Amino acid sequence: MSDVRNTAGPATVQGPQADARQPDDAWVPTVCMGCYNCCGIRVHRVAGRVVDVAGDPRAPNSQGHICAKGKARFRDLYQAGRVLRPLRRRNPEKGIGIDPQWEEISWEQALQTVTERLRAVREEEPRGLVIAHFDLPGYGISKAFGTAFGTTNFHWNRADYCGSAPHVANLLLNGSFNGELDLDLCNYMILWGTQLGHLAETIPLHAAHKMADARARGARLVVIDPFCTNTAAKADEWVPIRPGTDGALALAMLKVMVVELGRVDFEFVKRGTNGPYLVREDGRYLREARSGKPMVWDAAGGCARTFDAPELADPALEGSVTLEGTSAQPAFQLLKAHLARVSVEEMAEVTTVPAATIRRLAGEFSAAARIGSTIEIDGHTLPLRPAAIHFKRGSGAHKGGFHTMVSIHMLNLLAGNLDVPGGQRGVNPVGPFWSAHKDADGMLVPAAIITKYNRPYPPSQAAPATSFDLHELFPSSLFTRGLYPLGISEGRRFGVSYDAKVLLHCRTNLMMNSPCAQAMAETLRRIAFQASFADRIDETVEFADIVFPDAHDYERWDLFPANDMYAFITPGPGDWFWMMRQSVLDPPPGVKPWTEVYLELAQRLGILDKVYEIGNEAWGIDPAHRLEPGVRHSVKDIAERQARTLLGAHFSADAITETACFVTRPKTLAEAYPKPFLDARVPVYFEHLLEAGRQVRELAAKLGLDWDLSAYAPLPKFIACEALRPDGPYDLLVVNFKLPFQNHSISGENPWIDEISVANPYAYCIMLNRDTAAERGLEDGERVVVESRYGREEGTLKVTELIHPECVGIPGIFGHWAARTRLSRGKGAGFNNLLPAPHGGRIDVVSGQVDSCVRVKVGRAGGAPGRRGR
Amino acid sequence: MSRYAMAIDLSRCNGCNACVVACKVEHNGPPGILLTVILEKETGRYPNANRTFYPVLCNHCEQPPCVPVCPTKATYRREDGIVLVDWDACIGCGACIQACPYEQRFHVKKEAAARAPGGAEHENPGLRTAPAGVPLKCDFCYHRVDAGRVPACVEACPTGARIFGRLEGGERPINELISRRHARTLLPEMGTSPHVYYF
Repeated sequence: MSDVRNTAGPATVQGPQADARQPDDAWVPTVCMGCYNCCGIRVHRVAGRVVDVAGDPRAPNSQGHICAKGKARFRDLYQAGRVLRPLRRRNPEKGIGIDPQWEEISWEQALQTVTERLRAVREEEPRGLVIAHFDLPGYGISKAFGTAFGTTNFHWNRADYCGSAPHVANLLLNGSFNGELDLDLCNYMILWGTQLGHLAETIPLHAAHKMADARARGARLVVIDPFCTNTAAKADEWVPIRPGTDGALALAMLKVMVVELGRVDFEFVKRGTNGPYLVREDGRYLREARSGKPMVWDAAGGCARTFDAPELADPALEGSVTLEGTSAQPAFQLLKAHLARVSVEEMAEVTTVPAATIRRLAGEFSAAARIGSTIEIDGHTLPLRPAAIHFKRGSGAHKGGFHTMVSIHMLNLLAGNLDVPGGQRGVNPVGPFWSAHKDADGMLVPAAIITKYNRPYPPSQAAPATSFDLHELFPSSLFTRGLYPLGISEGRRFGVSYDAKVLLHCRTNLMMNSPCAQAMAETLRRIAFQASFADRIDETVEFADIVFPDAHDYERWDLFPANDMYAFITPGPGDWFWMMRQSVLDPPPGVKPWTEVYLELAQRLGILDKVYEIGNEAWGIDPAHRLEPGVRHSVKDIAERQARTLLGAHFSADAITETACFVTRPKTLAEAYPKPFLDARVPVYFEHLLEAGRQVRELAAKLGLDWDLSAYAPLPKFIACEALRPDGPYDLLVVNFKLPFQNHSISGENPWIDEISVANPYAYCIMLNRDTAAERGLEDGERVVVESRYGREEGTLKVTELIHPECVGIPGIFGHWAARTRLSRGKGAGFNNLLPAPHGGRIDVVSGQVDSCVRVKVGRAGGAPGRRGR
Repeated sequence: MSRYAMAIDLSRCNGCNACVVACKVEHNGPPGILLTVILEKETGRYPNANRTFYPVLCNHCEQPPCVPVCPTKATYRREDGIVLVDWDACIGCGACIQACPYEQRFHVKKEAAARAPGGAEHENPGLRTAPAGVPLKCDFCYHRVDAGRVPACVEACPTGARIFGRLEGGERPINELISRRHARTLLPEMGTSPHVYYF
């Protein structure tokens, strides 16, 4: 009798380079890339094959845990459809459902073909090269390559799906790229169109544990979302809202807090914001003639002073003054008067959230903030504000994205909870080698390392576009990458003087994660030559002319650190830590990591030394470890030099055996809770938008754009999406949300993820509220068609109580159709295919965020099966 | 000998399914068989609606109905309470599958044992793969437990919702949790005395 049917013993920890005489059995520490986060993991390799993966107990961001996506994805190494040889397209015709007629070619043929295309476009107009990927640690390589090549179009990813608007709000009010909550001390948390702490947002493992701890100690969680997501299911209160009206709800809550309750952290508004700055009737700051500095009224001194005058005793927030014939009011007074005109009842109609609920939420939130309370930490007395709101794409991806995000965030600001214990916190606006600072107006300017692409403040000069992301038209944005398709298709209208000729693409499925697959197909067809790096042939790779077989991230090294410190290290107290992605095993013969191929292409183009020159700066390599011209440095070699710069000359990439996470030191108090220590103000009044708006209006007139630019307003306002207007038979709004076990469009081919998705009651379904389904005579489990003016998707109906009755719910990015997809093809529906391609009426003119609101109708499926609308 | 048990904190489970995949990996799990799943249930009417997440697995009962019905004694309970199946002794009659009131035993069909057609296989050579015909069930990852580790689902769980240990003794005796949190078991009226507790 065999008592033991499983025989695995305790794992041994060995280095990746095991002794050839010993049987290969090693747990190799590295960094997961199952999503954009960078959780520490250990990968179990036996006889050259990966058999398991677990969280790294020593990595602060995983602490030994792992999520479904991370656990499952080593199966992708051995997927049946993996690309193992370079491929060339034989069919010149490109389109959805068109067979590329691949033929295998040699690496030399593939490299030669791509090099020739690149050389030609570089001679003609280097900006004709577009680089598209969503491979965060690879950005360092592609940016240096693109810059050396001479193109500025090296960042087409999926920012339309991401947070063009939310990031701007965090940058302006926190000086950070992302936001979070103080899950240790916060007692009242609102998650607004996002799922922080539930495995579908940033720093997911750590946040999930902390969120569960917070709930266990009695913190109240409120979730505002049209669908009762996994997150809303765990909340004390789910507040369903009509999609696209989050800005209206925020305005109403601001009204209650400021006007009805008068519950505001006035001390913070006086000292930490531009609330006291005097504003003239034309909306601009009243400035001192001599210094040009904004003025405030000193209620104690009875006179106007510059905002930074040492003798300023009591900056006035209300009233009005006339100075030398110019009348002016404090910015806060304008905000308050503006909010006084907001009707809570009207906003209740707009949002479908009852007025009583709005008043209760605003009351609970502002009371829980305990304005005025303090806490002693390490001998410092800091404000304690244990109530906070977190927001992301769900509430932000709308026509009025900027105003919605800053309206919500202003609730945080007025509670005085920004970057203080208990409150909302920016993800590391201050770190070991970067810091937010202030400009001449005393206003917060984020660290340059965080706004290296564009910066929302101070705004840049508006100008005709020179790049396909059209960012020059958005002088107060962070990034506008969702506009690449518009720039590539219609760039001339916006000032772009050249065409896209070559696309280097990898690791982003543009066809599925962008609005309207048909329009994206048109965009891709415009680009004469596309080379893709891919481990499988997805819907976008089907448009490629050449395919390079790409490595799994277990088969590659990456630039160091793999975790962007201003996005992927939990804010608040803790350690600074830096993670190294190392190769666990060699790629299969004939497969190379795309980053290495970029360096190879750079060498063939004769720009490798220039890449190094740029890289030495951009990759933070100190003089002792500089990359030398004329040498072909591997990515591993470069990463080691970066790590030696940061961690010391003793660092060896070959000795990463226990953990791939390197802790340097604990954060200081000023790094953990930066706001009380930062001498920089944040805006309650967006004065900078007046000048930016003037420039954009002038530019729009010159370019003949009929864009509605009313969003360039200094006070928060509600801007309705076009989808909120009735449109005949299109009587519902479709909403999209993430599942904790699927990642974008890339996890659907994993057999384990597929299995749990099939078993899940919602994942591959189309959701309708029970009453809405009953009105239409539709029943649970039947096939339905969701149709907008732009596309049509079919799927299985799930009748549920968990969705707003005016909505249709479609989760994830599903409904694959690529010929070589095996498990995921035809499963679930594709939300993005119901959206139109971005155009002026659907773009937030401040942040460049693309609107995700669209009206649809739902009916019983009939007629020809298969995919329509594509 | 004190029994092994699992306590599941339902307030911490958010339905992320990390445990389900971890279990699959740990058991060379054939397609179509999940030895632990998270049951989801809707409650209430909109807008006062919600859903609950309920992880289920073999209950490793004190009085396991699957044991006495086995004609070959292939199903047995170890002294530490873990209920196992000796695959070599199993004749595949399916009586235990019928007997389990929790429906937590799964028949390994031929095609499942052979894996999905054309699919890449996952074979951890350190683990034996279930042959066709036997019942597959949660085994509390006894091979890990015997080596001083916790079950794979417990290790993976990002929120720490699953707690594993001895009912008595040790640093975190499960009995202490059970009484402090008023934990309950599934179908107590069946008289099976499960060793999986919920609170």
